[in-house]
Amino acid sequence: MIARAHPFDSRRVVGALFLAPALLYIVLIVGLPFLLAIAFGFSDVTVGNTDLNFVGLQNYLAVWENDIFRQVFETTVRFTLISQIFILIFANILAIIFTQNFTGKWFARFIFILPWATPVSLAMIGWLWMLDTKYSPIDYLLLQTGFLGPNGILSSNRNLFWLATPDLSQISVIFVQVWRMTPLATVILMAGLSSIPTDILDQAEVDGSRFMRTLLQIKLPLILPIMVIALLFSMITMFGDMTVVYVLTRGGPVDYTRVLGLYSFQVGIEGGNLAQGAAISLFAFPLLLAMAILMLRTASRAEVR
Amino acid sequence: MSIVQLSGLKKYFDAVHAVDGVDLAIDQGEFLVILGPSGCGKTTLMRMIAGLEKPTAGQIHIGGDDVTDLPPRKRGVSMVFQSYALYPHMNVFNNIAFPLKAQRREKKFNKRIIREKVENTARLLEIDMLLDRRPRQLSGGQRQRVAIARAMVTQPAVLLLDEPLSNLDAKLRANARDELKDFQRSSNITAVFVTHDQIEAMGLGDRIVVMAEGKIQQIGTPQRIYDDPANEFVATFLGSPSMNILSSDGFRFGFRPEHFLPKTLHDSPENSRIFQYYVKRVEYLGSDRLVYGYIHGHDNDLTLAKVPSNVRVSLDIEGDYEFAVHNSDIKFFDTRSGQRIEAQNLAEAV
Repeated sequence: MIARAHPFDSRRVVGALFLAPALLYIVLIVGLPFLLAIAFGFSDVTVGNTDLNFVGLQNYLAVWENDIFRQVFETTVRFTLISQIFILIFANILAIIFTQNFTGKWFARFIFILPWATPVSLAMIGWLWMLDTKYSPIDYLLLQTGFLGPNGILSSNRNLFWLATPDLSQISVIFVQVWRMTPLATVILMAGLSSIPTDILDQAEVDGSRFMRTLLQIKLPLILPIMVIALLFSMITMFGDMTVVYVLTRGGPVDYTRVLGLYSFQVGIEGGNLAQGAAISLFAFPLLLAMAILMLRTASRAEVR
Repeated sequence: MSIVQLSGLKKYFDAVHAVDGVDLAIDQGEFLVILGPSGCGKTTLMRMIAGLEKPTAGQIHIGGDDVTDLPPRKRGVSMVFQSYALYPHMNVFNNIAFPLKAQRREKKFNKRIIREKVENTARLLEIDMLLDRRPRQLSGGQRQRVAIARAMVTQPAVLLLDEPLSNLDAKLRANARDELKDFQRSSNITAVFVTHDQIEAMGLGDRIVVMAEGKIQQIGTPQRIYDDPANEFVATFLGSPSMNILSSDGFRFGFRPEHFLPKTLHDSPENSRIFQYYVKRVEYLGSDRLVYGYIHGHDNDLTLAKVPSNVRVSLDIEGDYEFAVHNSDIKFFDTRSGQRIEAQNLAEAV
């Protein structure tokens, strides 16, 4: 009998086979919709008329000249930047706390990761109640402690209208975003902190360095590349997110909390103008790409071995 | 005068007795080597001196002060880790300056003093041209010098070294050993050096502390430890190949392979013990021939002989020869405890 190679003996066959599911996933879930969005963006497709007619940059020009879009874009950038600052501060503090030894650490970590582990829509419904215009428990507590009510310090009203005034609605959305994204950033930073060799930390201790010096001059510089990764993750997630505002405010009051993801959804799906919806969402793409490249390059340059 | 005094020092990690009752006095200006196999507690002992581990029991005195409960920065010690633990994001200057900056308030160091001290120390270790480099741009030997410079710059009372040579390749190591010893001599600093490498220990130590299972087995000069081991562990741990150990009635005895030579080479056979030796295999190692074989009556104990190559005695495989050991080179050990026993009359019983 002549020995013959089984197809599975070939690296190429087996390799392709193992790669196929991942490839299929990326092509179907990421690649196709992305290409479709680009195609839509250059066409005049609507929900009513799905014929793809090429119209060049018409959609993009229309979007760019739209005042609402500009405001939405500005709001998105502002929300993202402000929340990143708080996320970084809180995530650093929490990561440092959670990498210390204390009793109940496991439980504290578990509780703390919950905001991130909870499905966004569920968590948002919870917040919708917390921030309710009339029945907000926060307002109730403030009322009981004398901060609200006829002689209240904050307001003579019985409610603060968390999601209904221009300022508070924006603050509320940013707060909820920070609440939701801090755990992921914290987990990433914790991984970074625990990857610092113990020898380095022992050395710093023998060298006479105390907590703050070790933190500022040893730990933080060493996890800087990882911090950039954490920032990148939460920035990209937040920039494209629509769930939080969709559930909490629908973009209101007026346009104060309308962000890019939501606006694209409202124009494209709810308004039926698929072409312009696609164009709106694609405006974010070059910006996010540039940001990702910039940050990853910074991270790799700062990488230390 | 002893600068470091350890008394009744213990460190238990749950059921593991890493250090189990150590008493030790380290003299000012000496180079003390702590030698032992991995897991013997030597690193834990050093970390307790540094203040990185809190003892379960016992006291540590440095310079006459009880420092048992003091943090590392108040002990006047510095340490060089096996990995060198250089701060990767700082250049060499800032690495060396780090301990000075950390203590600038207590010691009233200003920028000028720090720069001066760093530059002086760097010059001493011949790394003054590397001050702008990052650790990853340095060779292994250069990294080691930077680590030593950083440890020396504060002029500590005691310099602790945790296997600092084991990351260097073999060629560099001999050189680095020599330099380290020179440097320690000239700076007259007290050095405590932890290693599992007996050659390093023998070469560097003014005194060697042999540790096993958390306890000190013997303290002494390299020669004393080698020639006059306190117990069977010390006897077999030092020397390569290790000492031959044979059992006899009620005791055990041993002799080193280099002392086990053909009878004709012994000038005073009357002071020697003669054995019938069956040669199983001979390895030619250049400077020596290493002979594997069995002594008649001890057929289960492989016995080695190390015969210098310039000895032109022919040794054939499967041949029987008369080998001898000088009486003074035979050491006796208690079968149960392994402790050395001095008994002249036992020589007759072998």
